Amino acid sequence: MSKHQYAMVMDLNKCLGCQTCTIACKKLWTDRDGTGYMYWNNVETRPGMGYPRQWDRIGGGWKNGQLQPSPLPTMDDYGHAWEFNYEQRLYEGKKKPVMPSPTPTSGVNWDEDVGGMNGEENYYFYLPRICNHCTYPACLEACPRKAIYKRDEDGIVVLDQERCQGYRYCIKACPYKKIYYNEVTGKSEKCIFCYPRLEKGEVNACAAQCPGRLRFVGLLDDPESPVHKLVLVHRAALPLFPEKGTQPNVFYVPPFNPPKRGSYDKSILEDPRLPLDYLIYLFGPEVRDVITRLEAELKSAQRGGRSELLQLLIGRDAETRYRIKPELVQIKL
Amino acid sequence: MRTNRVTLLLVVVLATSTIAGAQAGKAPAGQTLNATSLSATADVLLNDPALWGQVSAHRISLNRTPPLYDTDEPASLEIPVLEVRVARAGGKVLVQMSWADPTHDSAALPEVPNTPPETRFRKLPTEADDRFFDAAAVMFPTKPGAVTPSLQMGDTDDPVQIYYWNAARGPMLMEAAGRGTTRRTGASFAAHAANEKGRWTVAIELPDLPAGTPLAFAIWNGSQKDRDGRKYFSVWQVLQ
Ligand code: SF4
Ligand code: SF4
Repeated sequence: MSKHQYAMVMDLNKCLGCQTCTIACKKLWTDRDGTGYMYWNNVETRPGMGYPRQWDRIGGGWKNGQLQPSPLPTMDDYGHAWEFNYEQRLYEGKKKPVMPSPTPTSGVNWDEDVGGMNGEENYYFYLPRICNHCTYPACLEACPRKAIYKRDEDGIVVLDQERCQGYRYCIKACPYKKIYYNEVTGKSEKCIFCYPRLEKGEVNACAAQCPGRLRFVGLLDDPESPVHKLVLVHRAALPLFPEKGTQPNVFYVPPFNPPKRGSYDKSILEDPRLPLDYLIYLFGPEVRDVITRLEAELKSAQRGGRSELLQLLIGRDAETRYRIKPELVQIKL
Repeated sequence: MRTNRVTLLLVVVLATSTIAGAQAGKAPAGQTLNATSLSATADVLLNDPALWGQVSAHRISLNRTPPLYDTDEPASLEIPVLEVRVARAGGKVLVQMSWADPTHDSAALPEVPNTPPETRFRKLPTEADDRFFDAAAVMFPTKPGAVTPSLQMGDTDDPVQIYYWNAARGPMLMEAAGRGTTRRTGASFAAHAANEKGRWTVAIELPDLPAGTPLAFAIWNGSQKDRDGRKYFSVWQVLQ
């Protein structure tokens, strides 16, 4: 375990699905040769297939201390890049409609806003995803080259491009499929939690750009940090798929939409808009307690009380949402 | 997680004893690979398959490494034999490896332009993330006259040179001093490869190695998802 651990909390009740985070990350880190299909940050509609398609069902992670097998996702799962025939339409005067080719069959955010049905009501929410900078990273354990390491000073999991030989055991082992292979360089790549920004006291690009202001960043072990308060004090945020055994350090405030139409005064869990089973699938059984706690805070605020938790979750300013203090994690040489 | 380390260790120990077994087994561990001296230059020989007809072939049996990692399924022995020809020409040792492999796992990877990517509107794509390419390698001790190093990429005291050729990425010179230490040196070497009728023929140029040098061979079959220690290997042979 590292001396300190950076963590991120994302409040799913506030995500607009605008993909600003995705683009911020892409422009900053993955606008190079071989990185077109890489989304170190992606935002997927849930329920839905995710990116790569069905990543949550293909394997990896830990069981009884053993890495679990998994195939590599294929380009069919990520979606093949397509081009539009603008040349024909705009320059060659062909009166053809602008069409993509090859015919798209999948892609990042492919099933946006499709969601699912709960009775006659449609429901969905957005799930932004980055590497979880896990406490027990399956990716790290799987790499025979020891190219992946967890930074002792801040717990960020990074992949050394010098040591990597492109074997892709890490991609198989990661149960979140948050490592991508760059065929141009012959090496794998992953989210670096914007450590060069953090080292300068700047928050991660995805968080800085988020108009929904739903990302909270700080050290999990720093009692002053918003992530410490949300995860450990208020116990209002949960990791995704805790049973995969890697102990993620990205946490989610579960969506707690009001009850279904016509159930105005009922509690959220009495007639949930989002089927509880699905939330349990994503966040484990503890999600029920978290939603109950959040609802109680909400009710008390509605009665005129002041909820420290809700004030924190509103996260009006950057000082509330982030606590990035490079001096807290400096290694004394 | 600890259990996993133990399992891995056990696999390595088993692998080592299998290899030791093969070396001490009934059949002679390796063969003597007699090099034929030819008057052609190394360059001509490398690129002219017809000239290799004058060089006698040694049939070397291949083994598969045992499953090394929990993430990968075991692979079967689909390529049992490697044919090796060794010649001396123009002050070099040349080795031709030839093996039957019905699956041709190669690709023409796009050449990376030498302009910075940020100046280009289009970046090169990753065409596929899940393919592995056929490959072959010859390994020998770095120190001349050294004792035979460990088959598992040498030892700390007895490092090895690995002349590695990859069907998509070409020749790369590597070095290692024990399992898990293999690294690309950045240097390359002359090689010529052809794939015809389900058979690879790869000729590579080695430095002028003295008689008695141990040589070991390895083959990777891309369609069996071979890479790294997941491969076919021979025990040490001796160059004459
Ligand atoms: S999410 Fe995946 S890539 Fe990131 S640290 Fe965990 S196992 Fe490794
Ligand atoms: S920028 Fe914020 S609101 Fe927009 S998709 Fe990303 S996480 Fe959601």
